[in-house]
Amino acid sequence: MNQQSSKLQAKDLITVGIFTAIYFVIFLACAMLGFIPIFLLAMTFYGPVITGIPFMLYLTKAKKFGMVTITAVICGILMFVFGMGYFTMITALICGLAADFILKAGDYSSKKNTTLAYAVYSVWFIGNYIPLYLTRESYFASLVSGYGQEYVDTLRAYTPGWMFLVLLAACFIGGLIGAALGKAVLKKHFVRAGIV
Amino acid sequence: MSVGLISGSENTAHFTLDPRTKLALVATVCTIMISGRVGGIMTVIHPILALVPFVLLLFSRRVKAAVCYMIAYAAAYSMISFVMPATSGIISILIGATAGIIYRMMPSLITGYFVVNTTKVSEFNAAMEHMHVSTKITIPMSVMFRFFPTIKEESSAIKDAMHMRGISSLRNPMEMLEYRLVPLLMSVVKIGEELSISALTRGLSGDIKRTNICKIGFHFPDLVCFLLCIVCWICFVLHMGGIV
Repeated sequence: MNQQSSKLQAKDLITVGIFTAIYFVIFLACAMLGFIPIFLLAMTFYGPVITGIPFMLYLTKAKKFGMVTITAVICGILMFVFGMGYFTMITALICGLAADFILKAGDYSSKKNTTLAYAVYSVWFIGNYIPLYLTRESYFASLVSGYGQEYVDTLRAYTPGWMFLVLLAACFIGGLIGAALGKAVLKKHFVRAGIV
Repeated sequence: MSVGLISGSENTAHFTLDPRTKLALVATVCTIMISGRVGGIMTVIHPILALVPFVLLLFSRRVKAAVCYMIAYAAAYSMISFVMPATSGIISILIGATAGIIYRMMPSLITGYFVVNTTKVSEFNAAMEHMHVSTKITIPMSVMFRFFPTIKEESSAIKDAMHMRGISSLRNPMEMLEYRLVPLLMSVVKIGEELSISALTRGLSGDIKRTNICKIGFHFPDLVCFLLCIVCWICFVLHMGGIV
């Protein structure tokens, strides 16, 4: 087994699995607050902030091209199973690849690049909101059958067209803050404990 | 939670489906139930698909889970059909949010639960290999399924420990985050490293193609499931085209 190889080895794939599991569980715990209509939107901001901690730890272990992409693709597939539509798979693939390229450009060690990569990666979540805008009327109509008219009206009031850009920016800025928070936690706990 | 992907131990149920059939069922239930299309033939398709996980759980002798699911689904359904029209304002929103999520998501989630709970890791890998899915996806996926219960276990242990120290409320979110998340990450990373070494010892990274003793294949129950999926898809596509 060649450890120096740039190809993904079984060991790297296991690392991907472990960190994707942690990331996704924490992500889901954040998403549980989405019951309340306003939190569904705020999620784009506080989600990336909190998941920044596990993700920054992940990036210290992910030193090969493709690992972040695989994480993104798996998150996309799981989101599809959880009923968030197929757009997420596409945005996840794009954001994951972009994050991987940014990391590669920084040789997987540049601090600036890991921050930027995480912020770009965080944008994958926007895929869940695309149906809200792209197929707006039919999406709201489909929600009425399960959630009721009042819930849908509240959601509609909170999501005018320009809100999409706000959400996009919230993902990105949340990602930047999350990366900073993650790095601070990493420095305070993990470096000292010798995990990193 | 004693058998299946999660624990990787022997599956003793007499009723078994091919993992590929299970995937087809998940794809069907997820897409059609969540699409939220109503009216026409969908009034028939929805209840049928909602019954799918119930029947599957019954056949694989998970009666308790099956009954719990049916009660929750029936409750959510009656809340939406009978209680919600009579309410308004914030109460209607709350009912819509809770019952709506159960009504729309439960069937897919329970089908997913059934798949994860009744499929052995090696069965899953064998099926994926037959479908020529890259190990780049299958290894992380099987590690993830193996890890979800571990995370849950560790998390509850840490919760107890922090409770003793008086760190248990959401009043101080930053403190919660630091004292709950950091130990969790530490222990999970350590467990992960051990798992990784154990997998490598058993030759996961070898160059030679791995063999698998799992016998997977299609039988009569698989045929029934596939027919059901195909019928549902045809109805779904026709409904999208506005024909039925």
